[in-house]
Amino acid sequence: MLNAWPTRYLRLYWNLGRYTLNRELSFRGNFLVKISVEVLWLGILVAFYRTVFARTSLIAGWPEDKYFFFVGCFFALSGLIEALFLENCNDFAELVRTGDLDFLLLRPIDEQFLISCRKVDWGSMPNVLMGAAVMGASLYSMGWQFDPWLILIFLVMFACGTAIAYSFMLALTALTVWMVRNQSLMEMWWLFSSLARYPKEIFNGTWAEPIGVFFTFVLPILLVVNVPATTMVQALDPKMVAFTLVATLGVVWVSRRFFQYALRSYRSASS
Amino acid sequence: MTLPDTLEPASQGLQPTTDFEAKTDALGPERATSPLSTIRKYYKIFRASLVERMAYRGDFFFGTILRFLPMITTILLWRAIYEGSGQQSLAGFSYREMIAYLLLTNISRMFSSMPGLAGGIAREIREGTLKRYMIQPVDMIGYLLCYRIAHKVAYIVTSFIPYALLFYVCRGFFDGLPDAPTMAAFFLSLILGFLIGFFFEASVGTVGFWFLEVTSLLYIVMTLNFFISGHMLPLDLLPEPWGSILKFLPFQYMAYFPAVIFLGKIKGAALAYYLIAEVFWVVFFLVLSRTLYRFGLRRYSAFGG
Repeated sequence: MLNAWPTRYLRLYWNLGRYTLNRELSFRGNFLVKISVEVLWLGILVAFYRTVFARTSLIAGWPEDKYFFFVGCFFALSGLIEALFLENCNDFAELVRTGDLDFLLLRPIDEQFLISCRKVDWGSMPNVLMGAAVMGASLYSMGWQFDPWLILIFLVMFACGTAIAYSFMLALTALTVWMVRNQSLMEMWWLFSSLARYPKEIFNGTWAEPIGVFFTFVLPILLVVNVPATTMVQALDPKMVAFTLVATLGVVWVSRRFFQYALRSYRSASS
Repeated sequence: MTLPDTLEPASQGLQPTTDFEAKTDALGPERATSPLSTIRKYYKIFRASLVERMAYRGDFFFGTILRFLPMITTILLWRAIYEGSGQQSLAGFSYREMIAYLLLTNISRMFSSMPGLAGGIAREIREGTLKRYMIQPVDMIGYLLCYRIAHKVAYIVTSFIPYALLFYVCRGFFDGLPDAPTMAAFFLSLILGFLIGFFFEASVGTVGFWFLEVTSLLYIVMTLNFFISGHMLPLDLLPEPWGSILKFLPFQYMAYFPAVIFLGKIKGAALAYYLIAEVFWVVFFLVLSRTLYRFGLRRYSAFGG
């Protein structure tokens, strides 16, 4: 029974993914437009940093080529989060408000899985590739030497970053139960994830350093992009890598407990 | 976090509330003739929208708190950029002016951003609910304008305290308030910026008469607007000819222009010139949205029940 558990969820997820891909491909024009918006957004980010780097050679110890690796890593990671979870979490507010959440809670599947992994937004998947392309271009311009171990550590840290970001999104989603109209989850996520958008070295000085420490060790959102990117292009810090692994487990566990606690407060309106 | 008093359905942004419908019905058939009743009618729309907006305070305040996070990271990023460059001034902006500029663009956007407006109009066209504006004695664009003003007033009033606090904390980035004429020009540019934002988005929304799906177009426009309005960085930093081109377009009035007025970077004849150009753009988009609406109505076939 216990052995069947992961296969069952993997099979379910595979089918959900296939179903959403079919849906997405029946609106091909829309799919193409979505991708062009993302290309545009990446273009704006590149234009922004090119403009900035025309006036400086270093941002918080990051030269231009390495900084673009960071940008690519952020773009890929946030694309992955958007593809897998953002739309699902955004729908949660509507489920709570209308009481339709009842129908999901009644199903014999883990609630968190069903609520946060129901749909895959394939339109955001190309962001991962675009981010990877930026990272590749950055490594190329740095004259990076191929190192399979470093790539492996990077991929593990990237996965940890995704798990941490997912957990924070889940916690923000859970708040919806009490606030009811949390229609702006997408916006809230955008605002909150702005902390992960820049190298954590910018958090220095009297008032900024405590903020940086808080968001690294207490609410570790700063680890999300920083640890994989730093590991790959700046320096491998084994302590930070180990801490990120521990923090990932902790944050995933806490957010799951918080989500379940929130579901117990759900009042099932209108049913 | 405050629980809402009722669990009423969240407004889709455009539904006239029952309160409003009941009251306009009660005004009787003579309502369309007197200007006073017209004012009363739009005042009712304004009031109902304001009440609706304030029903979800918990969500609203939490969102306001989160809204400060990007400001913190932006300040830190630009500090790192100035430290990295080793220069006192980039494109005529000192570090203090740069942060002041980026804080001020938030005020500009507070007036000029119109979340959900174009998408809402397009949805009404697609779903056929637009026909209620033909039956009721309310002009769609006039109704939406009142609705939007109410939302902006509610937004500005409720975010006044957090913003005042933010500007107080960041007062070191400013050299005090500018003189009275500059302040007047600043407020004028904000109000005109609101009108440009409104009529521009209304124009985009009415494109829905021709293309049923405009949300994608909207995403492209909004994404681009974020950059070309100067919300991310002052347009002066861009290499030529891009800086000059963008200052010629209407989008700069939604973020860049009010901020540089406040900072005293545009004065005298140039200020007058740009204000006149801004009025021109308001009129341009007003006429455009109305024309598109009128021509669109001819094509409109009122789908749905």
